[in-house]
Amino acid sequence: MAEQQYTVASDSETTGEEKSSSTYPDIAIGVDIGTSQCSVAVWNGSQVELLKNTRNQKLMLSYVTFKDETPSGGISNQLNHEYEMLSGSTIFNMKRLIGRVDTDPVVHASKKLPFLVQTLNIGVRPFIAALVNNAWRSTTPEEVLAIFLVELRAMAELQLKRPIRNVVLTVPVSFSRFQLTRIERACAMAGLHVLRLMPEPTAVALLYAQQQQQTVHENMGSGSEKNALIFNMGAGYTDVAVTATAGGVSQIKALAGAAVGGEDILQNMMGHLLPDSEGLLLSHGIKDIRRMGMLRVATQDAIHRLSFQTSVKVDVDLGNGTNICRTINWEEFEEVNLKVFEKCESLIRQCLHDAKVDIEDLTDVVLVGGCSSIPKLRTLVKDVCKKQELYQGMNPLEAAVAGAALEGAVASGVSDPFGNLDLLTIQATPLAIGVRADGKEFVPIIPRNTTMPARRELSFTTTHANQTEALILIYEGEGTKVEENHLLGYFKLVGIPPAPQGVPEINICMDIDASHVLRVFAGVMMPGSEHPVAPFMEVRMPTVDDGHGWCAEVLHRAYGSTLDLVTVHKK
Amino acid sequence: MLSSLSASPILTIPVASSSLAPRRAGFRSRLIVTNSATAYKERSSAQGMAATATVCGSLYEVLRIPVGATNQEIKSAYRRLARTFHPDVAAVGRKDSSADEFMKIHAAYCTLSDPEKRAVYDSDLFKRRLNRQRPLTAAGFSGYTGRNWETDQCW
Repeated sequence: MAEQQYTVASDSETTGEEKSSSTYPDIAIGVDIGTSQCSVAVWNGSQVELLKNTRNQKLMLSYVTFKDETPSGGISNQLNHEYEMLSGSTIFNMKRLIGRVDTDPVVHASKKLPFLVQTLNIGVRPFIAALVNNAWRSTTPEEVLAIFLVELRAMAELQLKRPIRNVVLTVPVSFSRFQLTRIERACAMAGLHVLRLMPEPTAVALLYAQQQQQTVHENMGSGSEKNALIFNMGAGYTDVAVTATAGGVSQIKALAGAAVGGEDILQNMMGHLLPDSEGLLLSHGIKDIRRMGMLRVATQDAIHRLSFQTSVKVDVDLGNGTNICRTINWEEFEEVNLKVFEKCESLIRQCLHDAKVDIEDLTDVVLVGGCSSIPKLRTLVKDVCKKQELYQGMNPLEAAVAGAALEGAVASGVSDPFGNLDLLTIQATPLAIGVRADGKEFVPIIPRNTTMPARRELSFTTTHANQTEALILIYEGEGTKVEENHLLGYFKLVGIPPAPQGVPEINICMDIDASHVLRVFAGVMMPGSEHPVAPFMEVRMPTVDDGHGWCAEVLHRAYGSTLDLVTVHKK
Repeated sequence: MLSSLSASPILTIPVASSSLAPRRAGFRSRLIVTNSATAYKERSSAQGMAATATVCGSLYEVLRIPVGATNQEIKSAYRRLARTFHPDVAAVGRKDSSADEFMKIHAAYCTLSDPEKRAVYDSDLFKRRLNRQRPLTAAGFSGYTGRNWETDQCW
């Protein structure tokens, strides 16, 4: 095997943009690493082109197989059979695992996969291992992703006949900034520089904006505004965006997303077909892994066929006297996955509400992603949005990567004589960012769906008399309590002058700059003073290291509420 | 460097708005002043057109539109300016200043594109113009301390 081993580069290399303006146009490629499938696209000078691997595939399975210490991924590797991917030696679904700690429900659901995922429920990185020669070889989602990206990069370099460095990667809306750093780290390990990370539906929104621009031939900045709802459901995540588009400018009005997807549908169906499968799925004995693989393949096949027929027959012999032979129809399928579809509906409603766009004002409803062919999902999206038809103009499996490639060309400074790249996406924050205050409350400073770049500040004060230090804990998420959100980092503000409780004014300012970097500023003001009494702190986020989900709890145990903050309610 | 800057009109808004809230002058003025200082440097070298945005007073001037502009005109103006000032399209060396510029443009757009907010803003603007003879810099917002361009932002 002449496969290049992955290289380790610094993951803090964020200043690569200047280099791109050199001799040859280093157009960033667009990459969509899905939970199940992955694709790569690039602007070829006149349009977006999807790259194919040596087996002529545009959509490649996202997995890495560990065999005799030489891992190989879904770009170059040819599976002899579907079961090979389910033999325990292959790691997949890394997008559902990356940047998550072992208390996360999504990690717990992944314990039913053929490879090993173990949790201790203490807020550290889960133990993940592949079965190699009957022994468990431990790995991490970042490592798996990096190995995969090395193959992907080699494939792109071979086809484009130039070195590839810059990429635009699509990511789920619900990813926290901590998870994004893990993605960037995996890219850095593979020698790739992330030019932009785009929430998946915003990449689709960019493609939509370009298509509208082409059809209308309108002048820059003029023309009527079109509101579109974009619904993207893949194997791992469901994302929604509402965008207002005119003149090639796509303003993201709201985003919503959750870690719900085809994988959940598959697991629900496996549980439905074999009600006592839990033990089998969790055991990870060699024979059990094989039986579980057979169940998974049969279920996957049934779900796929249900997109085209109203009922399907499942007939599979799992050995050991377990034989599944039954017919499944749409009603049954919908009932088993009721919660998944309810979540989809609530995400759409939430996104429309946050965008302050009435259903009547939606011009188009775009449904993309691997789950977009599920009949129930199609009717659900149409019904909620009160539309007879869904938007037709794009390939549901290629829309996100095409949008990422467009962004790659725009961000690399490429211009098109026909104006096909006169595009701009004005992004919004997918999650609220704030601090812990008033006990365990999450107090947002930059709310969700704030247009970026952004700068906001809030005032806080001390909880005790003569409190000279304050612990600033920065969280990101949608929950009202800090436990429901992701810890991004923490630091201590020192040198608060001794004063009665509530007198010092602690200002916390958050700034998301042009490169989407988050910085937190904190300073103390005393009544009557014109300037901060102590030097203010400026901290770039996130600061937490991998697997430090336990950190908040340990801090709480160590300090209690002695360093807490309360919000100041200004009249 | 600083003395030449203080003579320039570019600093009008940042200095004035931080004097509105002296207690919070701390890092806010630092943030804004340093950003506009870099903005100034780059503008004086090449970007002549960028300078106009900063000297403006009213939100209408920020969007370069007449006071009676229609909602459609406001949206078009916002998009046109976004295509010049948004950091994603701004030249590499101008990203930070364009981020500040874009935030102002977006804040103006948010207020003016919302009929209710615009009505409140308009009546306030009208009152101030009656009292007048003060130039319409942010210093003229003295009867208006609860709000400035930052608190006016919406999403």
